[in-house]
Order: sequence, then structure tokens, then C-alpha cells
Amino acid sequence: MDFGNFFNASLIYASFRSATPVIYAALCAAITQQADILNIGTEGIMLTGAFAAVAVSYTTGSWVLAIAVAMFAGLLMAGIMAIANIKYGADICAIGVGINMFAIAFTKFLMTSVFGMRGTFSNPKIVAIPRIHIGWIENINFLNQVFNDWALTEWFVIVFIFLMWFVLFKTRWGLHLRAVGKYPLAAQTAGINVISMKYQAILISGLVGGLAGAHLSLGYSKLFTENMTNNRGFMGVAAMFFGNAHPVYTAIGCLVFGFVDSVGARLQSYGVASQLVLMMPYLVTVIVLSFSMVSKYYANKNKNSSLLKVN
Amino acid sequence: MNKTVIAIIKILLTIIVSLLVGAIFIVIIHQNPIEAYGALIRGAFEGKLKFGTTLANFTPLLLTSIAFAIAAQAGAFNVGVEGEIFLGGLAAAYIAINWTFLPTPLLYIAAFAGAILVGALWAWIPGVLKAYYNVSEVCTTILMNSVALYITSYMVNGPMSAGVQNPQSENVSIRLKQFMRPSSVNIGIFIAIIVSIGIIWMFYKTPYGFKLRTVGSNSKFSDCMGIDSKKIFIQSMMISGALGGLTGVIEILGVHGYFLDNFATNLGFNGMLAALIVKSNLIACPALAFVLAILRTGALRMQQATGVPKSLVDTVTAIFIIFASMDSLFNFIFKGGKGKNRIGLKPKQQKIEVKEVK
Repeated sequence: MDFGNFFNASLIYASFRSATPVIYAALCAAITQQADILNIGTEGIMLTGAFAAVAVSYTTGSWVLAIAVAMFAGLLMAGIMAIANIKYGADICAIGVGINMFAIAFTKFLMTSVFGMRGTFSNPKIVAIPRIHIGWIENINFLNQVFNDWALTEWFVIVFIFLMWFVLFKTRWGLHLRAVGKYPLAAQTAGINVISMKYQAILISGLVGGLAGAHLSLGYSKLFTENMTNNRGFMGVAAMFFGNAHPVYTAIGCLVFGFVDSVGARLQSYGVASQLVLMMPYLVTVIVLSFSMVSKYYANKNKNSSLLKVN
Repeated sequence: MNKTVIAIIKILLTIIVSLLVGAIFIVIIHQNPIEAYGALIRGAFEGKLKFGTTLANFTPLLLTSIAFAIAAQAGAFNVGVEGEIFLGGLAAAYIAINWTFLPTPLLYIAAFAGAILVGALWAWIPGVLKAYYNVSEVCTTILMNSVALYITSYMVNGPMSAGVQNPQSENVSIRLKQFMRPSSVNIGIFIAIIVSIGIIWMFYKTPYGFKLRTVGSNSKFSDCMGIDSKKIFIQSMMISGALGGLTGVIEILGVHGYFLDNFATNLGFNGMLAALIVKSNLIACPALAFVLAILRTGALRMQQATGVPKSLVDTVTAIFIIFASMDSLFNFIFKGGKGKNRIGLKPKQQKIEVKEVK
């Protein structure tokens, strides 16, 4: 095996590229997790967003409008989840699974009955999110391979990670949100409207999830297929657990999965069975998630026992 | 009004509302909802083939809905039934193809035992991770579904491939008898019914069932009472996994006769839907599994007879779940519905959290 061909500069971009949809999904899950709501519906929100983006891009030819509508669609799905969970006492796992099912079935239904397509929705009329070409690094081979021709949303995700971090940890709103997650009773006593904060968290995560979908269908690829998220939403949730709902660590977790994904894609050309390659991101996600939670458990245990000694 | 009556009325209301929403979608795509639903019912019952197919669809749904519900009753949200079906089916196919040196009755036992064991062990992993290390079982089980799918897919494309065009294994040497040909319903349906009754009896009438219920409703209390809640939690996952494995072996030996790639797609999920609609009530599960079996079978017919795509049925079922999961949605009808306290923490939500006492 030639390692020079294997681990080269383009692997960096390949990893980042396959990680971005997961990063958006993970951030979508992270916002609600900060308010102690496990967003199982990430997958469904993302899928709806992906479909809405392609449908709007196909009919209007505008990617800006497509992203906007995708985010709105995500907002609607999240809205159903929020009302069901907060107002009508639905179990968050049950409603999340319901949303995911609904998204898969409903996008399929719309695709067949409204657009008359089966399996894959692909058309030259679909306008993708533009890729940014930087002229002056064309001649520098390394930079050209790593940084050139990123989709706009791929650049934006970096800004967005830090924006999320700033909002969650440096603003009053973020503090309130985290307070609601840590100890709702205390937050209520301090005069924070807990219910309103929970609604806001879920709705904002819907916007982010819609963006995740739009990026998946218009930035990462340029089509929509049935169930195209393919558990990326759950990988995002796993990464969120791994990073403890902290945007930066969560994103780092996603990059690990992206790396595994793109290494797998390269292994395939060396004759490794495609099923094993496709399995790798899922397997690695489960293993990494388990290890991080187990180590967290022991870290907590040690912390607690040392506290007991002081008493 | 007593609780059971209210629960039944709520489920009926949910079904009616969901069908109405489905009807609206049908009208939007310029079709006649009454015709479509009529074709759906006819497609599930008319004639031996169609009714047999409904029964054949009912078998796995019954087992998987019970599988999901029993874990849910002990507090585990096991989305991984599908993976357990795949691996259980693979184990059964492997044994039934390669262990032909065993006498036939023993071979049956070995295939069933193998599938059940593999399913239970596969479910043991997320069970332990959740019980001891608080790793979300929803997340691990759903990702492990994909892992299981690709493992089986690899096996039937590689080492276990029959070498024909479709990715499938060689024919198995033992079969469960199909009694309503040409449909694929087989004696597995009786196994499924007996096992389900056994599980329901175990859950309501034995000390072990009491332990499961106690852990599900209050794990801290059960710990104080001397029931090891973590152990019971893991065991509930393993029972669930075993039922998944059983579904797999019945599908392989009864329906297909060989291991077919992707044979169990959505079997686990649909069972979970049935269980979710009735809030994992074990006695109501079979009824809902039957309703879903009708919907699944009729959907194909509806698609052929009218212009309504069968994904509409999936949409309607998903709407079932969304409405059914909202505990207090129809409470305005009964007036006596309990609200929530002011900060929106419902007792049910608190119950599900398994948090370490620090």
C-alpha cells in the first residue's frame, strides 16, 4: 500500500467535507441538550430540510431561498416536537422517533406524488450552494487541495461553531439556557421562564437542523434521495454526547467520524469489501461514544470519591 | 370513567385523527380518500392470498412490538430490534446451512437457540453501556442497527454467498411449514403467538415480571427494595433482543428459506411503532400489530388500484405516533386530565432519567 497516495493533503478536505453535515446535525442536537432535552428528532428535521432545500432550489432556482425554506421546514418540524413534548407531555424519545418516521415517509410521499420521482430526486435545474474558488492559491499545491472550492456552508460551519460557543457560554441567553438544563427549579426561582427557554432551544435547533439538511442536499451533494441522511443525525447526536454538548469538542468528535469515513472510501480502492467500509463510521461512532462515556463515568467516580475523603 | 376506557378512546381518537390527516393529503394529490382507504382494506382481506399475506406480515410485527414494549416497560428504549432480527436471522441461516450433521429436530433447536442467543447478546451491549455508563441506548442501538445490517450484507455478498445474482445465502436445510399457500404465512405465527402470550403472562403474573415493572416505574425504589435495577434493565434488553432473534429465525426459516440481503428492513421499526402507539402496553400490542399489518399489506394494493403511493401509509403511521405520544392531547374531552406543574417537568420525564446519585 502506498501511504503517500493514501494520507495526502486531499484527505484533510475529504474528512472535513464528510464531517460537515454531521457537525451541523451535532450542533442542532447540542442546543437542546444544553436545555437537557435529548433531540432524537435531529435526523427527521435534517431530512425535511434536505428535501425542502432541493424542492425549492428545483422550482425557483435560488439557493438562498432554498436554504431559507429548508430552515423554515426544520423550524416547523421542531415546532411539532416542542409543542408535543412541552405542552402535551410527549416522551421526547417517542416524539423524536415519530418525527423521524414522519420525515422519511412524508418526503418520500411528496417526492413520488408531487414531483413524480422515485428513489432519487436529481435534476440539472437544481441549483447547488456555490463553491468558493480562491484564485491566488491555485498554484500552491497543498493549499489548493485543502482549501480551494469549499462550499459556502462549509466555510460557514467554522464560523458557526464559534458563534454557538459564544452564544452558549458568553451571553446572558446562553447562561439562562444552560441553567434551565442544569437545574430547572433553580432557574425558575431565579426568574427565568423555563418553558419559554425550552421552546426557544428546540425551535432554534430546528433552524440549525434545517440548515444541516440544506447543506447535505445542496452543499455536500446536489440531489435528494430517500432517507438520504442515513443516520447522520444520530451520528450527530452521538458526537454531541462525545463532546458533552460543547460546540467545539462536539465538532472535533464529528471530524473523527469524517476522517474514518474518508479513509474508508480510500480503503475501498484497495479491495476492502464495500459493506465493511460503509459500516466503519457507525462502528467507530459507537465505540468512540462508548469509550468517552465510560471514561467520563470513571472521571466522575474519582471526583466524587475524593470529595468524600474531604468530608 | 375508568382508565382503560379512556385509554382505548384516546387510541381510537388518535387513529381517526391520523386517518383524517392522511385523507387531507390524499385530497391534496387529487385522489379520493374513501376509494383509497377502501382499496387498502380490500387489499388486506380479500381472498386467501391477501389475508395470508396480512397474517404473514403480522407475525414479525407481533414479536417486534412485544420486544420493544417489554424493554420499554423496564425503562429501555430499544430501537435496535431490527439489528437483532438481522443477526438472529444470519445465525439461524448459518446453523441451518452448515450444521446438517445434526438430526433434524436438533437442528431446529440449534437454529432457534442460535438466533435467540445472538439477538440477546447483541442487545446486551447497549444494555450494559446504558445501565453502567449512561450511554444513550437510543443512539447506540440505532447505530448498531446499521452495523448489523452491513455485517449481514457483507456475509451474504462474501463468505456465505450462494453465488447467484441476488445477494443471498444458499437454501437452508430446514423450513417452517407454510400452510396458506401461495401466501408465505407459516407455522411461525403460532410460535409467535405462544411466545407473546408467554411473555405477557410472565410480565403480569410472575415475580420476575413484577421486578421488570418496578424497575421501569421507579428504579431507585427497586434498588432500595433489593432488586438490582441495572441487572434487570440489562436483562430486559436481552429479552427484547432474544425476541428480535426469534423474529429473525422465523422470517428466514418460514418466509424466505435462505438469508436474503436486507430482508428485515423496517420490520423492527414497524413493531416499535405499534408499541409506541399503545405506550408499550403489552396486552394492546398484538391488536395494534394487527392494525399495522393490515395497513402494510393493504398499502401495496392501494398503490396499484388508485394513484395514492404506499408511502402515504407510512406517513399516516408516523402521524399516529406523533399524536399518540402526546399524553394530554385529548384531555380536554375528559376534563379530569392532570396538567403539569408550572415549570413543565412532567413526572413521566423525570422517571425516564437515569441519573447517578452524586
